[in-house]
Order: sequence, then structure tokens, then C-alpha cells
Amino acid sequence: MVRVLIESTGEQREFRALKSVTQLLNRLGLKSTEVLVIRGRELLTPDRMIGHEGDIRIRHVVSRG
Amino acid sequence: MKCRRCSELAQVRLPSHHTGFCASCFETYFLRQVERGIHEHKQFSKEDRLLLAVSGGKDSLGLLLALSKLEYDVTALHIDLGIPVSSQSARSTVEAYCAAHSIKLHVLETTEKGLPIPEVKKRVNRPICSVCGKIKRHWFNRFAYENGYNVLATGHNLDDEVARLFANTLRWDQAYLAGQGPVSPAEGRFVRKVKPLCRLTEYETAVWCFLNGIEHVLAACPYSAGASFTGHKKLLADLEERSPGMKMQFYEHFLQRGKPAFQAIRAEAPPLNECARCGYPSSMEVCGVCRIKEQLEA
Repeated sequence: MVRVLIESTGEQREFRALKSVTQLLNRLGLKSTEVLVIRGRELLTPDRMIGHEGDIRIRHVVSRG
Repeated sequence: MKCRRCSELAQVRLPSHHTGFCASCFETYFLRQVERGIHEHKQFSKEDRLLLAVSGGKDSLGLLLALSKLEYDVTALHIDLGIPVSSQSARSTVEAYCAAHSIKLHVLETTEKGLPIPEVKKRVNRPICSVCGKIKRHWFNRFAYENGYNVLATGHNLDDEVARLFANTLRWDQAYLAGQGPVSPAEGRFVRKVKPLCRLTEYETAVWCFLNGIEHVLAACPYSAGASFTGHKKLLADLEERSPGMKMQFYEHFLQRGKPAFQAIRAEAPPLNECARCGYPSSMEVCGVCRIKEQLEA
């Protein structure tokens, strides 16, 4: 299972499998330049594969005051 | 995706530059963009005494690190707005960062100046973001002027500048369009104001902070819901996705071709007065900040 934490809201989502970061962003309705996609201590570019398991954090980059 | 410079695995994709970088090469790219923004617009040099307005967010803390790495003489100023929880969190984030990096920090409390923001919000019947911004700009400038700093830097990035340009253009606000840009020259009791991140997007500053392990404030200001700039940024992000590089082009072309025209129109504008209360520049007899203070004291 791929567990995804959206930091701005604290929401947690789970996916059985994700082909790529692009697929994850599409599922979440996000643009690649509006969030950081973080796995451990590295950032993932949209072409990176995700697979069937792992923990991913989504950090929005737009300042909100 | 591979890094354009070293062919290692990329961690950052930058569609506006048709490229990607690994962590190490992104550091080089980021610092070069900061230097380029500073030099292209003649913002400041290593001889200047630089005060950086630091909120605790990613842009100001990221810029503080970049200017330190580039060996500029920089001191931080944080304004504690007195907003419960939010201001305490921001202040402790800034204090911890500056202590860990041995950076000189001043903290100014608006409550001590008779302007606690929660009270201002209750008493002033205007959007609080605009009023709070006016108070912060006044005190950042005043602190710099009274303490011998000749340059005041802020962490405004390309997205901030483009959103502001968009808003000013929607209103065709000649005065604001004449004055917008990465440098506002010193004049009277106004110190020079600069924006060294003018060539970098919010995404890039967020990446910079993550890769450098900067612990910045993530939560939004509790008073900022519905701020118009956030809506403008979403519109501009849609345009940028369709036409990568559009934001930089819009901003640079404005600076080259639009701003001079607005400056010419505004050349005949009357000079600013000295505020009758505080002595700082104002278009009215009493400046906006002194008027807010009087409203609170009434």
C-alpha cells in the first residue's frame, strides 16, 4: 500500500499502487510545480516510479499569508 | 529524469527552464539565480548594511541562508504581530534558525508599538492583510532607517511579484505600476528596498528549503483566508502550466517596457509629505499607520 500524507490538511490517503508521481498528482488534482513530492529525504520528479508500497508526503509550496 | 549538469538522478524538474537538477546542482543554480537578480538590478553590494525582513516562512528563511552562503553582511528582523499561537510559532522558528546559524536577529513586537494585530483586526473595518502589511512595511523601514541599515531586503519571489503585477494591472494603478520592481531606491526616510528572490519561484524556494533542511513555518496565517493574491496565483499557475516561462516573461517585459512608461506618467506626481506624528513619508498629513494607532487609542 502507498500511504500519502498531505501536509497542509493532515489528510492521509492510501493507494494500492501508483505507476508514477504524475499519476499520483493527477489523482490528487495537483500540478507538479505547486507541491513538493517527498519520499524519505528525497524529492521525486513527475517521471519517477512509485509502485505498490511506500510513504510519501505532499507539501504545498504556495504561501498563504 | 537526469540532472542537466552532471547526469545524476534529478530531484527537481523546472519546466520553465526545460531542465532538471540533482540536489547538488540545484544549489549551484539557486545561488546563481539569487546573484543574478542582485547584480542585474543593482540591488546591493557586499559593502551595504543589509536588513532582511524574516517572517519564518520558506522565502525569508531560504533567502537568509542564501545571502549568508553568498557572504553578504545580513542581519534579520522579525516582527512579532501578537497573533495567538501563530506569532509565537513564527517567532520561535526564526529565533531557533538564527541561533543555530549564528545570524544576528532583532525582534520587534507590534504590541509594544501600540499595534497588536488581533486588536487592529477588531477595530479597523478593512481587509486585515492590507492593514497588517502596511504596519509591517512601516516598521521594517523605520527600524532599518533608525538603526543604520541602508538596504531592506524581503523574501518576495517571482510568484509574489507577478501576482502583484497582475493585481496592479487589473486596476491599471499607475502609482503602483510605476513603483513595482525588485528595487525601490532610497528617498528621504525611505531606505532602499530590494527583492533578491525576484528570479525564483515559490516552488524553487520550497525546494531550496527542503534540500537544505530549513525548518520553516508551514501553517498559514489564521487571518489570511480569502486573500486575493492567493486566487491570482492560482490563475497564473494555470497560465504557467500551459506556457512554461510565462511568469518570468510577463515580469521582465514589464520591467523593460511597461514600468518606464508608468514612471514617466508619474514623474509630475507631488512629493510625499512628512507624517505630522511620526515624521515618516506619507501622501497624507498623518500616515496610515499613525491613523490606525489613533483609531485604537480612541
